[in-house]
Amino acid sequence: MLSTFLSHQWKAFWRSRNKAGSIAAQIVLGFFMLYFLVVAIGVGFWMTSIIDKIMPGISPTIVFNGLILYYFLLDLAIRIQMQDLPTLSIVPYLHLNISRRTIVNFLNLRSLFSFFNVLPLFIFLPFIFINISAAGGVVDVVVYLLSILGLIVFNNFLVLYIKRRAINNVLIFAIGIMVVLGLAASDYYGLISIRAFSNLVFQNVVRYPFLALIFPLAAFAIFYINAKFLTANLYTEELSSKDDKKVSTDYPFLNSFGRVGELAALELKLILRHKRSRSSVIMGFLFLCYGFFFYRLPLIENNEFGKMLFAAVFMTGINISVYGQFMFAWQSAHFDGLLVNKIDHRDFIKAKFLLFTIGSTLITALSAFYGFMSYKLLLLHLATYIYNIGVSTIVVLYFANFNYKRLDITKSASFNWQGVGASQWLLSLPLLLIPLIIYIPFGVLNQPYWGLAALSLLGLLGLLLRNYFIKIIVNKFEKQRYKIAEGFRE
Amino acid sequence: MIEVKNLVKSYAGRTVVNIQQLSIKTGETIGLVGNNGAGKTTFFRMLLDLIRPDGGVILSKDMDVSKSASWKDYTASYLDEGFLIDYLTPEEYFVFIGSLHGLSAAHVADYLKQYEEFFNGEILNRGKYIRDFSKGNQNKVGIAAALMQKPELLILDEPFANLDPTTQIRLKSLLKNLSQTQKLTTFISSHDLNHVTDVCNRIVLLEKGSIIKDFYTDENSLKELEAYFSE
Repeated sequence: MLSTFLSHQWKAFWRSRNKAGSIAAQIVLGFFMLYFLVVAIGVGFWMTSIIDKIMPGISPTIVFNGLILYYFLLDLAIRIQMQDLPTLSIVPYLHLNISRRTIVNFLNLRSLFSFFNVLPLFIFLPFIFINISAAGGVVDVVVYLLSILGLIVFNNFLVLYIKRRAINNVLIFAIGIMVVLGLAASDYYGLISIRAFSNLVFQNVVRYPFLALIFPLAAFAIFYINAKFLTANLYTEELSSKDDKKVSTDYPFLNSFGRVGELAALELKLILRHKRSRSSVIMGFLFLCYGFFFYRLPLIENNEFGKMLFAAVFMTGINISVYGQFMFAWQSAHFDGLLVNKIDHRDFIKAKFLLFTIGSTLITALSAFYGFMSYKLLLLHLATYIYNIGVSTIVVLYFANFNYKRLDITKSASFNWQGVGASQWLLSLPLLLIPLIIYIPFGVLNQPYWGLAALSLLGLLGLLLRNYFIKIIVNKFEKQRYKIAEGFRE
Repeated sequence: MIEVKNLVKSYAGRTVVNIQQLSIKTGETIGLVGNNGAGKTTFFRMLLDLIRPDGGVILSKDMDVSKSASWKDYTASYLDEGFLIDYLTPEEYFVFIGSLHGLSAAHVADYLKQYEEFFNGEILNRGKYIRDFSKGNQNKVGIAAALMQKPELLILDEPFANLDPTTQIRLKSLLKNLSQTQKLTTFISSHDLNHVTDVCNRIVLLEKGSIIKDFYTDENSLKELEAYFSE
C-alpha cells in the first residue's frame, strides 16, 4: 500500500498541470540543490583541513563534536520556514477502505523524502568514516551514526509536529529564528556555549556508548507523538488553517482616489488576505537590511554610488520587482470577472501605478534609517526612489502583459515555483541594469552627484509622461487580454 | 438585441462553436441546451468578449462586442467562480460591484434586502470570505451580484447547478418576474430540461457547436427535448 501511495505521489509530481511551464524552474532548483550537495560533500571530506585552518591547534574531533548540535539547531530554524507539510495529498484516500494507520504511516514516510534529511548525511558521514573510525574504531562509528541519524529524524518530525500544531507560520518562524539567534548570540558572548555543550555531550557519548541510544529514542518519541496526533486529527479541515471570523474592511485613504482607489483597495485586500503575497511583503521588509551588506564607509566617503546603486534600487523598489514580477497573475483566479465587469482598463492599470507608488514611498521612508550612516545615502535612495516610481513601474506593467501563467496565491511562497517562467527572470534584469547604465558615465567622469541627478531626471521624465505610457500599456493590454485570460483559466 | 453572424471558434483543429446566424430580440429568455462539449460556455465567453472568435461577429445593440465596451453598461453575467473575487466577503464584493455601477454602499445594502429570501440567511454577515462558501452559496453570490447591476441582458451559465431545491424554485420565479416586468433579455444554459422549458420562452439546442434546433417553447417542448437527448 505504501508503495502505491509513493507511486501516486511520483505521478502527481510529473503530471502536474503546470509542469511544462516550470520545468526550467525545476532545473534551476535542481542546480541549487546540487550546488548545496556538492558543498556539503566538500565540507564533509575536507572538514579536517577546514577545521585546521579556522581553528588551528584544537583537535578536529572537539570542533566536530561542537558543530553537531549547532548544525542541527540551525537546521531546525531553516526547516521551520522551508519544509512543507504533506497533508492535502491524502484527501482522495480518506474515504476509501484504508486504515488510518496506513495513511499516517504514508504521511510520515513521505516527509522523510526531503532534501533536509539528505544534506547532513553528506556533511557528517565523511568525517565519521575517515577520522572517527581511524581514532576510535567500529563502536565509535556506530555511536556517531546512531546519533546523527537520530538527530535528523528527530528534527524532521519535530518540525512537522510544530507546524501541524501552529496556526500562524510567520510567528513560529520568527520565534524559531529568535531562539536560534538568541542561543547563537549567547554562545558568541560566552553566556552559554552550545559548542562546549555539544562537545560535552558527544565526549560522554563516546565514553558511554549506550548513551547514543538517547537520540534514536528521542526521534522515536517525537515520531510517536506526531503519529498519534495525526491519527487523532486526520481531518483535513483541522490540519489546515483555522477559521476565524472575517470582517469587511474599508480604506478611506484610498477611496479619495475614486474608481482607481477602489481598485487599488481591492488589490491591497488581495495582498493582505493571501499567504503568498503576504510573505512577499514580509520579504520586502527583510530586504531592508540589504544595505548593510553593500554600504561600506569607504564607498560612501569616496562617493562611489555606482557600487551601492544595485542595493538602493533593489530596496526602494522591492515591492515593484517582487510583486510586479507576477503581475497580473495575482488576479488570475478572477480575471474573467474583472474583464466582464464595467472596469475601465485605464483605471485598472492606474490602480497598479497607485499601489506601486504608495508601496515604494513607504519602503523608501522606512529605509531612511540609513541616513544615520550618511546623509549621502538619503540622496541615493531619493534618486533610486524617483527612478523606481517613474521608470520601473512602467517597465514592470508593460511586461506584465506577456505573463500568461496562472498563479495559485493561496500557497506559501518559499520554494514555490508555480507560475514562475522565463519572463520573470528577464524582467528584473533591465530594472537593475538601466540605472547602472545611466550612472556609469558620470561615475567614470567622477561626477557622482550628477549621476544621481541624471537618474532622478529619468525618473521625473517617466512620472511626467506617465499618462502617455499608461496609454501604451492599456493598448497592449487590450490586445493581449484574450491570451492572458486564456492562460489564467488553465 | 443580439445578432450573431458566422461565428466560428476551433481549438486544435476541432470546431467548438460554429453558428451561422442567431438573432435575439429584446425581452426574450433563451435557454441554451446541449451535452457537454456542445460549445455553450465557449459561446458565452465569446458573447462576453473573453475569447476572441476565429471568425464572425457578435453584435450587441448593433455594436461589435470585441470592438467596443459599451455592452458592459447593460450586461451582467455569471459563468463560474472565476467571476467572483473570492478573497472578499460577500458584502465587500456586492459593494465593489455596486460601485462600478454608481451605487453607494447604502444603496447596495438596501438592494440586498429584497434578496434576503433568496439568500436564505446563508450569505450575509457570516464572517466568511467568498472562497470559504460552498459552491451553491458562491453561485447565489454571483447571481445576486449580476442581478444587482439592473442589466438589460443577463447571461447565466448553469445557474441551477449546485443550488438547493428551494433556491432553484425561487430563482425560477425571480427570472420569470424580471423578464415580464423589466423586459430583461436572458441567456441561460442548463442541463436541467425541466427548468429550462419552464423558465425560457425560446430554446436553442447546440450540438458540436452548431445550432440544430431553435424554437419557441410550448407544452410539447419538454417532450421534444427529452426525445432528442434520449436518442
